[in-house]
Amino acid sequence: MPALDKLRDATSVETIKADLLRTAYENEGSFLHRLDPRVLLLWYVVFLFVPWLFYDTAVLLGLLAFVSVLAVLSRVSLFLVGLMAFTVASTLASYAVVTVFTGDPVAAVRALVPFTLKLTIISVSSLAVFSSMGPKTLSQGLRSLGIPRQFTFLITYGYRMLPVLFEEYHDLVNSFRLRSTAPNSPGWFRWRHYAYLLKLSMRAFYPMIFNVAKRSRVTVEAMEARGFSHSLNDEASTKLRLAEMQLRPIDVGFFVGSLLVVAGLARFL
Amino acid sequence: MTATHNSRIDVEKLQFRYPGTDEAVLDGADLAIEPGEFVAVIGGNGSGKTTLCKAFNGIIPHFYEGDMQGQVTVAGHDVSESSVSELSQHVGYVFQEFDNQLVSPTVFEEVAFAPMNYGHEDYRERVHRTLDLLDLDGLEDRFVWELSGGQKHLIALAAALSLDPDILVVDEPAAQLDPVNARETYDRLATLNEDHGKTVVTIEHQTEFIAEYCDSVVLVEDGVVSWKLPVETALNQLEDLRAQDVHPPQVTRIAERVLGDDGPLPVTLADGLAQFIDRSVDGGVRTDGAPETNPTGEPVISFDNVSHSYDTLRSGTKDVLDNLSVDLYPDERVVLVGSNGAGKSTLIQLVTGLETPDEGTVTVDGTDTTGVLPEQLAEEVVYVKQNPEEMFIDDSVRADVAHYLADRSYPNVEQRVDDVIEFLDLEDLQTRDGRLLSVGQQRRASLAIGLATNPSIVLLDEPTGSLDLASREEVGRTINRAGERVETVVIATHDLELAASWATRMVVLDGGEVIADGPPGDVFADLGVLEQANLRPPQVVRLGTELGLDPAPLTVEAFVNRFGTTGSSATETTKPIVGEQ
Repeated sequence: MPALDKLRDATSVETIKADLLRTAYENEGSFLHRLDPRVLLLWYVVFLFVPWLFYDTAVLLGLLAFVSVLAVLSRVSLFLVGLMAFTVASTLASYAVVTVFTGDPVAAVRALVPFTLKLTIISVSSLAVFSSMGPKTLSQGLRSLGIPRQFTFLITYGYRMLPVLFEEYHDLVNSFRLRSTAPNSPGWFRWRHYAYLLKLSMRAFYPMIFNVAKRSRVTVEAMEARGFSHSLNDEASTKLRLAEMQLRPIDVGFFVGSLLVVAGLARFL
Repeated sequence: MTATHNSRIDVEKLQFRYPGTDEAVLDGADLAIEPGEFVAVIGGNGSGKTTLCKAFNGIIPHFYEGDMQGQVTVAGHDVSESSVSELSQHVGYVFQEFDNQLVSPTVFEEVAFAPMNYGHEDYRERVHRTLDLLDLDGLEDRFVWELSGGQKHLIALAAALSLDPDILVVDEPAAQLDPVNARETYDRLATLNEDHGKTVVTIEHQTEFIAEYCDSVVLVEDGVVSWKLPVETALNQLEDLRAQDVHPPQVTRIAERVLGDDGPLPVTLADGLAQFIDRSVDGGVRTDGAPETNPTGEPVISFDNVSHSYDTLRSGTKDVLDNLSVDLYPDERVVLVGSNGAGKSTLIQLVTGLETPDEGTVTVDGTDTTGVLPEQLAEEVVYVKQNPEEMFIDDSVRADVAHYLADRSYPNVEQRVDDVIEFLDLEDLQTRDGRLLSVGQQRRASLAIGLATNPSIVLLDEPTGSLDLASREEVGRTINRAGERVETVVIATHDLELAASWATRMVVLDGGEVIADGPPGDVFADLGVLEQANLRPPQVVRLGTELGLDPAPLTVEAFVNRFGTTGSSATETTKPIVGEQ
C-alpha cells in the first residue's frame, strides 16, 4: 500500500519534528518576517475582531482567502494546517451527528458555517503571524509592549527547549516500544497497531515531565550566573534588546493595505 | 601563567549546610587561590568539592539558602554580601551538565546572553572576540541542539567567558566529553591561562589531564580542604588519592609497582619515559587482553552495504553510515569505537530496528530488520542507552525491571525480577525512583532493566560515560558478569581503557566506514588508524609504544608483568623509539 506508506512517512515523528522546527525557526525569508513585530501584533489584534463584524459568508470567505495568502507567504507548517483542517472538519461533523437526533442536520451545519469560518480566519491569521515571527522577534515585540521579561524570556526558552523535548519524548516512546508487546494481529488498516502506539505515546509524557523538571535546576543556576535577574531591572539591557526594532514605510503600508482589503471586501461583496 | 589581574580567591573556615539536611557539606574549609593559577579540585562523590566551587560565584549561599558560616572573598568582594550577578562579572562558571546551561537557540544569542543582560553595548564585538578566542568563529548561526557534545561544551565555555571574567570555574569537563574533546577543552583552558592570565579552576577526576595541564591540586575530603599541593607532589600522595576514589595516572601506577617507593614517581608520560627508558623490558608475548576467539558459525548481526543519513535544519543532510558492511559472530565481545558522529550510536539503533537503513540490509539472528517491528527484535536484542534516564519509564527501579516481563505475561515474573535485582546488587535501591539515583547507580539499574529481558544480544551505548572511577569499575564488573549470561555483547564507547581490557574485537569507525577491525592488541598497534579516528590510546599503550614494546601492553597489569619477567640484562631490550612527547 504505497499511499499508506506515504502517509506513514508524512506522519512519522522525524518528519513532524523537522516540520515544526522549520516553522519555529526558519522563517527568515518569509514576507511577514520583515515587518516590525509590534505592527504584526497590532495587526493580529485587529484581525481578532474583524471577522466578527461580518455575517455575509462571501465576505468571510474573502477574508479567509486573504489570510490564507499571508499564511502561504509565511510558509506555515503543513502539519499544523492539517491539524487545523482536521479540527474544523471534525467539529462540524460532530455537530451534524448530534443534530441528527434533534432535527435537521444540514440546516444546523449550514447555520454553523459562518461561525466556523470566523474561527478559521482567526486560526489561520494566528498561524501566519506566529509562524513568521521567530522566538526572538516575538519576545522583542511583546517586551516593547510592556510584557515583563520573565514572560518574554520564557517564550524564547520554550522554543529553545522544543527540539530537546522532541528528542527526549521520541527516545522515551522508543524505550516503551522496546519493552512492550505489539498487538499480535494489527487489524483493519493496522488500527490495533496505531491504538497501541497512541497508548504508548500518552504514557511517555509522564517520564518526560519528570526528566525535564529535574534538569531545569541547572538551567536556572546558569541563568543566574549570567546575569538574568540583573537584566530584569536594567534599563540599558532592555534598550539593547529592543534596539533593532524600527517602524518603516513597509510596516505602515502593510497595515493600511490590510485595512483597505477588508474595506474592499465589505464594499464589493 | 603571569596573571593580568589581581582577583584572588580566599576561603576561610567555610561551613555550609544545605537546607533540610543535618550534615554540613563543607565543614571549615580553608583555601587560597592566587591570580593566574591553574588549579584542579579533586575529591570523592559527596566530598563537597562542587559546593566549594559554587561559593566562588555566590550560587552558594544566594541560590541555596542554606546555613553558611565563615568567609569567602573573591576579587575583593565578600561573597555573602555581593549578589550572584555582581560576582559573575569576575567568575565564569561552566556546569557539569553543560547541555542544560545553554538557554538560547543559536550560538550567537547564547554567547550574547550575558553581555546583553548587563547592558553592554559592544555585545556583538564581545561575542565575536570570545568565539575567536576559542576558535569557534563560523558557528554563530548554528542551532545549539545541532552541535556535537564537544562543541556544546565549548559554547558553554564561550558563554561563561563573554563577560571577560578573571576567574573561570569548569566542573568536570572530562567526565562528559570524549577524551579527544576533553583534551581540546583543556588546550583552550591552558591558552586562556597562559596567554590571557586567567585563573582556571577545574573540578576533575582524571589525573592524566591534571598532570598535564594543572599547576596545583586541591584535595577536598569530608567538607574540608586536606591539602593544596603542586601537581607533581599532589599526584604522589597515592594513599590520599585512592581513599577518595581518584586513580593516579597509569604511568604513576606502573612506576609505583616497578620502581617502588624511592623518590618521586613520574606523573606525566614524558616523565615516565625518562625514567623507564633505562629499564630493561621483555619484548615478549602477549599476556593481556581477552583471549581471542575465532568466529564460528553464522553471524548473529550482519550489516550488508548499509547507508544511513538524517536531515538537519541548517546544515543539510548528514550521511552517518556510508556503505558499511560488517558481521558480528556469537560469543564475541565487540567494542565500536570512533569519535563523536562517527556513527556508533546509529549502528546500534539499526540493530534494534528503531531505525532502518536507507540502503542495504541489517540482519539480526537471521531476520531482516526492515520486515519486523522493534518490539519483535527486542525478544533477542536489548539496548541499554547512553543516558539511563531515558530507560526509566516507571516510578521505581523494580517496576522498571519488571516492565518487559509483566507486559509479555511471563510466568513467575517476581522470581525473575528478584533474580536480576540480586545479581546486580540492587536490593536496597529497588523501591527508589531511578531518576533520583546517582549516575553510577542509574547505570547499574539500566543494565538490570536490560538483562531482565533475557536477551542473547546486548548493546551498550557508552556504559562508562560520565562516571567517576569508582563507578566505572563497578560498571566494568557488571558488564563482565552480564557477559556470562548472554551470547554477544556490543559496546559503543570512547573509553579505550575499557576496550583494551575487555574486548575480543575492536571495530573502529570513521566517517561512516570501518577503518580498522580486529583484536584490540592488533588495532592498538596501528596508532595511525586511531589518530585518523580521533582516538587516543590509553596512556599505558602510548608509554609502551614509545618504549618500543611490540606488542604494546594494553593494561597496567600487563605492563608491570613485562618488567617482572625479565632479568636485568640489557641485551634483551629492544631499541626504544622516543618521540617528541
